[in-house]
Amino acid sequence: MGVTTTADRAVRTKPKRRYKRGSSKAYLFLLPTFVILFTFIYFPIIESFRLSQNRVAPFGSQEISVGFDNYTRLLQSSDFWDTVKVSLWFMVGAVPIGIGLSVIIALLLSYPLRRLNWFYRTLIFVPVVISSAIAGTIFRLLYNPVVGFFNHWLGLIGIDGPNWLNDQSYAVVAVTITVVWRQLGFNVIIALAGIQNINEQLYEAAKIDGAGVFARIRYVTLPQLTPTLFFLAVVNVIISLQAFGEINILTDGGPGRATTNLVYQVFIDGFVGTRFLGRASAQAFLLAILIIGISIVQFRGLGKRVHYQ
Amino acid sequence: VTAEAIPRTESVAVERPKQRRSFGDAPIHVSLLVIGIVISMPIVIAFFISFTPLAELVGRADPEIIPDTWTLENYDTAWNASPFPRYMLNSFIQTGIITIAQVVLSVLAGFALAMFEFRFKNLLFGLVIGSLIVPFELTFIPNFVLISDLGWANTYQGLTVPFLASAFGVFMMRQFFLTIPRDLYDAAKIDGSSDWYYLWRVMVPLSKGAISAFTIFAFLSAWNQYLWPLVITNDESMRTAQIGIRFFLVNQERATDWGAIMAGTVIVMIPTLIVFLFAQKQLVKGIAASGLKG
Repeated sequence: MGVTTTADRAVRTKPKRRYKRGSSKAYLFLLPTFVILFTFIYFPIIESFRLSQNRVAPFGSQEISVGFDNYTRLLQSSDFWDTVKVSLWFMVGAVPIGIGLSVIIALLLSYPLRRLNWFYRTLIFVPVVISSAIAGTIFRLLYNPVVGFFNHWLGLIGIDGPNWLNDQSYAVVAVTITVVWRQLGFNVIIALAGIQNINEQLYEAAKIDGAGVFARIRYVTLPQLTPTLFFLAVVNVIISLQAFGEINILTDGGPGRATTNLVYQVFIDGFVGTRFLGRASAQAFLLAILIIGISIVQFRGLGKRVHYQ
Repeated sequence: VTAEAIPRTESVAVERPKQRRSFGDAPIHVSLLVIGIVISMPIVIAFFISFTPLAELVGRADPEIIPDTWTLENYDTAWNASPFPRYMLNSFIQTGIITIAQVVLSVLAGFALAMFEFRFKNLLFGLVIGSLIVPFELTFIPNFVLISDLGWANTYQGLTVPFLASAFGVFMMRQFFLTIPRDLYDAAKIDGSSDWYYLWRVMVPLSKGAISAFTIFAFLSAWNQYLWPLVITNDESMRTAQIGIRFFLVNQERATDWGAIMAGTVIVMIPTLIVFLFAQKQLVKGIAASGLKG
């Protein structure tokens, strides 16, 4: 591999010759994709920043530019920080539970069963194809105080269930449970793939050192799984910050503003009643900076922070 | 004992006991069965309730999962008393256009990025990857303004055009095409085959697995879209199935007609469940691959 022969060099100069002949063809192949990416992803970034400096002028439909005024007003308003708090509650509730459950389930699924493996996988993976609207609709039935099942089941074990969707403190829990459920299929698939990617020899070595099942999980599986767990953490943080469909169907941001997260406030400002596209864009921009920041941490973290032991 | 000397076994963290084999598996079977039932329960309940007569639903003292008498009247209500056929048609058109366009454009762009040498190649590939971390919150308001200005609100163009290309698809196709030996391409060139012919007659058939995995992924994401079709349509006849179910829910809930609501739910999720049952392996592979690569 390291030896370069004259023949290799001849082959390597070949692309240079093709450089010009192939290049116009390459651009043609890429053109449709880039037209879409530029029009609907890259241009909107700039446009979104411009919109975020606009405000509807009083007594008219004219949009005027107010510079960073939308941002300073937002950062000073308690309503804005309330929506940030709701977003963080969803994150704190959904991410550790979602990942913890999926790792436990994936460990069980990784056990080499002779039979029924496919059956359990089908039952456990299925939420992966369910949309937020469908999850919201089904869970709205489950939470229903009269015909719903959750409070009926809680009643069977002697717990008087709350009015999930109409109670300020339980509505957040209700939405979080739904989001965790819908995300579970994806999380288990990723966790299982990570577990199955671990070199079996490490387990053999641990066994020779006298490690039992739990010691092997603690000292082999979990350390080896850190890159997967890190990936899951980032994806789940982003998904929980972006929760929208479930909120729209389960609670419509309520009761009061109990489940109005940042995304939902963007939706309300931009699309419900009078359109405040400037304020909506400013909030979207702040949220996007947070999410892009997390994504960049992921890219850097994959290279640096996560290390195999 | 060196690591190499140890024979590879199928063992994982939880090791299969050598003795009393079938007995040792029992706790795992039981746990997985219980977990599986709990997780799939909401979907199972939706199915059963969709066959339960209204009178039975509201007349019971306690909610029950399995109906005493089975009925199709809920499907009749959902399908005929609301524009569900239209919702489904819209969703099939919207999803069909998006899926086909994303697959074809990703194959083309992925091929160019994997096989051709040209100026700005790295920059363009960087722009594809970069667009992956742009969250939808940042783009959907300007896109709404743009699509509305074009007069495309409440049209199929409005529903589909912003999603005709997929950066994830381009990335996935490029990665897969790079694994196909370049010698094959060089040999085909020597035989006088055109790039176009080589792409569709050699590359694509060799990449069936990757292409179908991405097709499934594209289909599911398009079918399950929520926020965009919600804001870009307000005309009932242009709603997609996901938006339709939301408005159907609002209407029927007043009548506590949960049977009809669940019938609508089943109708909307059936295409994705069918894909899941028949293409589970590819779907799981595609998702797992996205995770392993980060």
